[in-house]
Amino acid sequence: MTWLTWRQHRAEVYALGLLVAVIGAFLLAVGLQMHSLFPGGAGQCLGADLSETCSTAIRRLNEEHGYASKMLNLFSLVPFLIGAFFGAPLVARELEAGTWQFALTQSVPRMRWLAVKLGALGLATALLTGVFSALITWYRQPIDVLDGRFGADAFDLEGLVPAGHGLFAFAAATAAGAVLRRSLPALAVALGAFLAVRVFVMGWLRPNYQEPHRLVELVAADDPADPGNPRMSTGSHLDWTISTGYVDSSGRPLSLYDSVMMYSAAEKQGVKFSAYLHERGVQQWIEYQPAERFWTFQLVETAIFTGLAAALLALVVWRFKRRVF
Amino acid sequence: MTATEYALRTDGLGKRYRKVWALRDCSLAVPAGRVTALVGPNGAGKSTFLRLVVGLLAPTTGSVEVLGQSPATNTPQVLSRIGFLAQDHPLYKHFTVAELLRLGCSCNLRFDQGLAERRLARLEIPLDRKAGALSGGQQAQVALALALAKRPDLLVLDEPMASLDPVARLEFLQALMGAVAADGMTVLFSSHVVPELERVCDHLIVLNHSRVTLAGDIDTLVGEHRLLVGPRTTTDVDKAGTVVEATHSERHTTLLVRDGGLPAAPGWQASPVGLEDLVLAYLRWPARQDVEPTTMAEVPA
Amino acid sequence: MFVFRIDSGSGVPPYLQLVQQVRQAVLLGFLKHGDRLPLIREVAETVAINPNTVAKAYRQLEQEGLVTGRPGTGTFVNETPAATISPATYTSLQRGLETWLGRARAAGLDEQAINALFTAAVNQAKNENIA
Repeated sequence: MTWLTWRQHRAEVYALGLLVAVIGAFLLAVGLQMHSLFPGGAGQCLGADLSETCSTAIRRLNEEHGYASKMLNLFSLVPFLIGAFFGAPLVARELEAGTWQFALTQSVPRMRWLAVKLGALGLATALLTGVFSALITWYRQPIDVLDGRFGADAFDLEGLVPAGHGLFAFAAATAAGAVLRRSLPALAVALGAFLAVRVFVMGWLRPNYQEPHRLVELVAADDPADPGNPRMSTGSHLDWTISTGYVDSSGRPLSLYDSVMMYSAAEKQGVKFSAYLHERGVQQWIEYQPAERFWTFQLVETAIFTGLAAALLALVVWRFKRRVF
Repeated sequence: MTATEYALRTDGLGKRYRKVWALRDCSLAVPAGRVTALVGPNGAGKSTFLRLVVGLLAPTTGSVEVLGQSPATNTPQVLSRIGFLAQDHPLYKHFTVAELLRLGCSCNLRFDQGLAERRLARLEIPLDRKAGALSGGQQAQVALALALAKRPDLLVLDEPMASLDPVARLEFLQALMGAVAADGMTVLFSSHVVPELERVCDHLIVLNHSRVTLAGDIDTLVGEHRLLVGPRTTTDVDKAGTVVEATHSERHTTLLVRDGGLPAAPGWQASPVGLEDLVLAYLRWPARQDVEPTTMAEVPA
Repeated sequence: MFVFRIDSGSGVPPYLQLVQQVRQAVLLGFLKHGDRLPLIREVAETVAINPNTVAKAYRQLEQEGLVTGRPGTGTFVNETPAATISPATYTSLQRGLETWLGRARAAGLDEQAINALFTAAVNQAKNENIA
């Protein structure tokens, strides 16, 4: 059974292994170059007054590695590829070719057949996405130090989350394959589900894994204020800002319309916008997730995706038990 | 006969897919060592029946027992006693023949690789060829060799020869009958082709409209049935037997009856019926029956 | 080694075809005393026929006293009580029958009627103890 699983899925292992290896080689090449911009580590280039070397390094980072963010956003599909290419054919290919009748009438009970397959390919998914995540984490190290790890191009690609995404894609593709009985449609359905769930989790769930911290303070007369949103700092540039805004002296939130009206009033009077706000006792607030919550958030998100994966695999197991094929 | 002397026994077996019954009220027994043909038109429920027998499906109602055990339990012990050749003999097409044999070794409690290799060598099927590159007949032979290498007590084949050309059909039957003679296993295979049955089968199950309409030993069944020809009649009945099929012309009536060979009523001439005609008569049965064929209309006097 | 053949379309039950082929071969001297009939497994495999059918044919041949089965070694042809006939005699007898069949058909008898007539004649001959 072990041999059969390997023989049947080694092509996927080779192809996906190659994909990760190529990405790894590329990241290694450009990553070494990026890391060499900061010989003493990017940590030395934090704060307001930057040395000559640091400003050059950061300028070169932006100029020469500015594509990193776009590239990484694209790479966030790699865990899907890994999981879905293992999952889609797992059941569907057997159903397409009729070979399930051959496979399940050897002396291996069907539940054991399924357990071995799900176990082995799930593990392969976790391992490959783990390697992938380790590569990205290494590559992004200077950027993480400078920009934090809560951006979509970091949080989705580092730590445990890629493995969670991969397992979810694996389970979604397996379940779709078991229901649709075809590999390709299963792959398409899994992609749709993957994107939808990720957008939902990223936009609606992730900011609220823990109650955000909230800072409120009176607008200072010389703050670099802006009618859209206050330029307010949490004290650490690595924190994840969820939202910002103004409240008037009575504590009523100001809408964008209100603040724009105030801005034009300030201009009419020839006063600085921040000074205008300061005079009227307007407060600015910021809600944020502190940088040290990174691992908690990683665990929560990984748990969500592996939980969804478990539910989908339970569906597959149930169909197998019921012998719907 | 004790339970274990039956290779296969079903009791009230039925399978429903959502609202449609693919098979219902199927109760029969096949003694060990028989070669049984499961005959029926396409869509009669043959594949469903066979999949229930090998444990690929679980029954909706009733039970099925193979060699005294329920295949639905799906234990390695039950599975190892049943060999199955699905329709179109599906194999992993990108596996070489040698890899398929290795699969057999790795996924079975007992697997006689030597037997399979000798069988394939005799047929000159190269072990290093990919299964997908073999001819249909060769693929069927490989699938048969794999199933036989399990040394099953019951070998189940779903339309094993449907996709084969005449030469490959004969070669397949030769291999199958040779194996039956050598190992004495019980064979159950489905077919919608009636000729050819007589030389390979000694037991028969006719399935029509999801029900079993006839089952039993072929010699016995043929002995129990005969054709009666006599003056045209549609009304008079006799308690001697049951009419399977009646055809009327202007002046005379031909009846296929199951009467166990009783003397014919005066004015009626009896003649034996061949297996093919017998099977065809049962295959022509209309769908409406809710009752066993043995209790329908009776023989005219 | 004796070779069987089966004609699926003949309407004659397969086991009877095997029996008749042995009878005919013995009659014609193609099978002689002491000859071994092929093993059941060999017949099953070469002719593609149910081994139970072969066994049934061999049993019938044994009952007829034409052959003897020896466990472990095979089935052997017995000393034939009736004299064998030469192929020439066989052919001439067959011709005679064919001529007779032609006449019967010309008289308007169909196959069933011919069979009935023939069976009746054989039975009558048996009763009169001339067969």
